[in-house]
Amino acid sequence: MSDHLPDWIGSEGNPNNFGDPTAVLEPEPYEVVSRNDDQMVLSMGPQHPSTHGVLQVVLGIDGETVTRAEPEIGYLHTGIEKSAENLFWNQSLTVIDRMDYLAPLTNNFAFVRGVERLLGITDQVPRRAQQIRVMMAEMTRITSHCIWLGTHAIDLGAISPFFYTVDLRENILDLIESASGARMNMTYFRVGGINGDLPEGFLERLDELIAKFPRRMRDLRDLLQQNPIWTDREIGVGIISPEDAVAWGLTGPALRASGVAYDLRKIEPYSTYEEYEFDVPTRTEGDCYARFLVRLDEMEESMRIIAQVRKKLEPGPIMINEPAVALPPKPSIGLSMESLIYHFKLVSEGFRVPAGDVYGAVEGPRGEIGYYIVSSGENKPWRVRTRPPSFYNLQALRKIAAGNLIADVVVMIGSLDPVFGEVDR
Amino acid sequence: MQPRSTKTTSTVVDPTAVRPAIDDVDEIIRTTPAELRGVLTQLKARGFSHLTDVGGADYLKREPRFDVVYLLTVLPTHAATIAEIGKPRRARVLCGVDEGQSVPTVYDLWPCANWAEREVFDLFGIPFSGHPDLRRIEMPDDWEGHPLRKDYPVRGPGRDRTPRPPFPGKENVGSRIPPTREAAERLRQEINERLHHGNGKSGEEKA
Repeated sequence: MSDHLPDWIGSEGNPNNFGDPTAVLEPEPYEVVSRNDDQMVLSMGPQHPSTHGVLQVVLGIDGETVTRAEPEIGYLHTGIEKSAENLFWNQSLTVIDRMDYLAPLTNNFAFVRGVERLLGITDQVPRRAQQIRVMMAEMTRITSHCIWLGTHAIDLGAISPFFYTVDLRENILDLIESASGARMNMTYFRVGGINGDLPEGFLERLDELIAKFPRRMRDLRDLLQQNPIWTDREIGVGIISPEDAVAWGLTGPALRASGVAYDLRKIEPYSTYEEYEFDVPTRTEGDCYARFLVRLDEMEESMRIIAQVRKKLEPGPIMINEPAVALPPKPSIGLSMESLIYHFKLVSEGFRVPAGDVYGAVEGPRGEIGYYIVSSGENKPWRVRTRPPSFYNLQALRKIAAGNLIADVVVMIGSLDPVFGEVDR
Repeated sequence: MQPRSTKTTSTVVDPTAVRPAIDDVDEIIRTTPAELRGVLTQLKARGFSHLTDVGGADYLKREPRFDVVYLLTVLPTHAATIAEIGKPRRARVLCGVDEGQSVPTVYDLWPCANWAEREVFDLFGIPFSGHPDLRRIEMPDDWEGHPLRKDYPVRGPGRDRTPRPPFPGKENVGSRIPPTREAAERLRQEINERLHHGNGKSGEEKA
C-alpha cells in the first residue's frame, strides 16, 4: 500500500490467540493511528456504515478537525467496462445496469441513447417508447433519491425517515417491476425501444401513486426539513462554491446546489423532455442542506413529469420498426420465414453498429451519466467508457472535507450521494 | 443495416476516423501529447471550463496505439440559470499516445483530472507526467498488467477461457462407448473385474 496509509494496514493483524478458550485474552493495543508531526492519520472504512458501500477515507486529523481527506476507492471494481466489450450490444445493457445499481434505468437510457445515435435511429424510436422511458427514468430518480435520503438520515442518527422512504420506494418499485419484471437491474430498455409494454392496470396504480405522493413528500419534509438537529448538522457544512463545483467536474444535484442550473433534461432535451413543464431546482448556498433541498425538490419535479407523461401517453408501438435491430413480434415468427430468420440472427449474433465513436448522456439522479461508445462495426462494442457522475462528485470530498469536523465528513459523503457500483465500475 | 455473419472480423483499425456525421459534440480535436496542454489551455480560455470526462481507448493495431479522450463542456463558473447556460457546447480532444509515451497531466487546470488520469493509468498503463499522485486507483497496488488493454484476457491473466470443473465421470462415459464387439467384451470384463475385486481405484487411476 502507499506510504500515507496507516502502518497497521497490511501488518500481521491482531496477534491475540483465539485458539485456546482458557487463555486470558489481553487487549492488544494495536495502533489505529500513526502520528507524524502534529497530525494524526485515521483510516475510516472501507467497512464503515456511513460510507454507503466500500469507501475508505484516509483522514489527516488535528484534534477533531480534518486537515486532509483522501478517499481510497476501487474496493468494488468489477470490470464492467471490460465485460461490456465482450457482449452483444443489447447484452451489454445487462452489465451496464449494475454500475449504478440504485438507478439502473438511467444507465440503460444513456447507453441506448448513444447506440441509437451511432445507428442513426434516434428519430425513429416510437413516441410511446420514448414516453415510457422518460416515465421510468423519473421513477428511478425518485427511488434513488429515496435511498439517498433514508441512508443519509441514518448517518445522522435519524432512523424513522428510512422507513418512510423505503415504503415509498417499494411502491414505485412495485410499479416498475410490473412493467419490467425486476426490482433491481431491470434492463427494461433496448436499442430502438423498450422490452415490453406497460401491463394491464399499470396506469390505474400509477394514478394512485401520483395521488398519494404529495402527502408522502410532506411527511418527509415534516420529519427533516425544519428539524433543528438536522439543520444544525447540515447548514454551512461542506460548502462548494460554483467555481470549485465546475472545476471539480461536479454534475447533478451537487452542481445545482451551488447555483449552476446544469440539467441535461432542460438544456439538451431528449426523448420528449421538451414537452413537459418542470423546474430545475437550484440553490446558491452550496452546502449539504442545499443539496438536501435540491434533491427533495427534484423528487417532486420528477413526479410532476410522471403525471404529465401519464396524461400525454399515447398508444402505439414500443419498438422501432427496423428488423435489423428489433426482434420481430413473437406471433409473426410462426407465420413468416423472414421473421424466423431475423429472430434467429438477432438472438444468436446480435446486430452490428456502424463504426465510429459517440457520446450519449442523460441526466441521472447523481448527475450527468454518459457513455463514450466506440464501435468498430462489429456486433459488440469496441470500447464503452462511462462518464461516472459519482466518481467525480466523490472526488470533491478531497476539496470540501478539510477544515471540518470528523463527524461532518459523514454528512458530506452522504450529501454527495456516491454509489460505489458506479464509482468503481 | 442488414444482419450479416459475424465470422468476418472488422477491418476498421481506427473507428474514430470513420465516424458518421453525428452532432454529439461540437468540436473534435486530434492532438499529440506534446501539444495537448496548449490545446486544452486554449479551450479553457475559450470557456470550456468543465472537464466532463477523461477516458482511454486502445486501438491495438493503430499507430499510435492509444487515445486519451478528454470531454469538455462550456459552463459558467458562477451561479447561472438555465437560460444563461443554454444548449451545452462540448469539445472532444483525442490525444494519440503510443506504448511507452507519457501524457502531460492537466491536474493543475482542472483538479478533477486527478482521479480520472489515475484511472487511465491504472487500466491502460498510460503514464501522466507531472501527476502528483500517480497510483493505481481501481486495481490493487501490486496488480500486474492493465485490464482494459485489448490484449489483456477478459477473465484475467492465464484464464482466457471459462474454467470448467473436472468431471471425470463424463470422460469415462465418453471413452467407454464400445466401438467394436471386442471392445465391448473388454469393457464387460473390466466391469466384472471391478465389481468382484476392485474398490474403484483402478477407475481413478485410469482417469
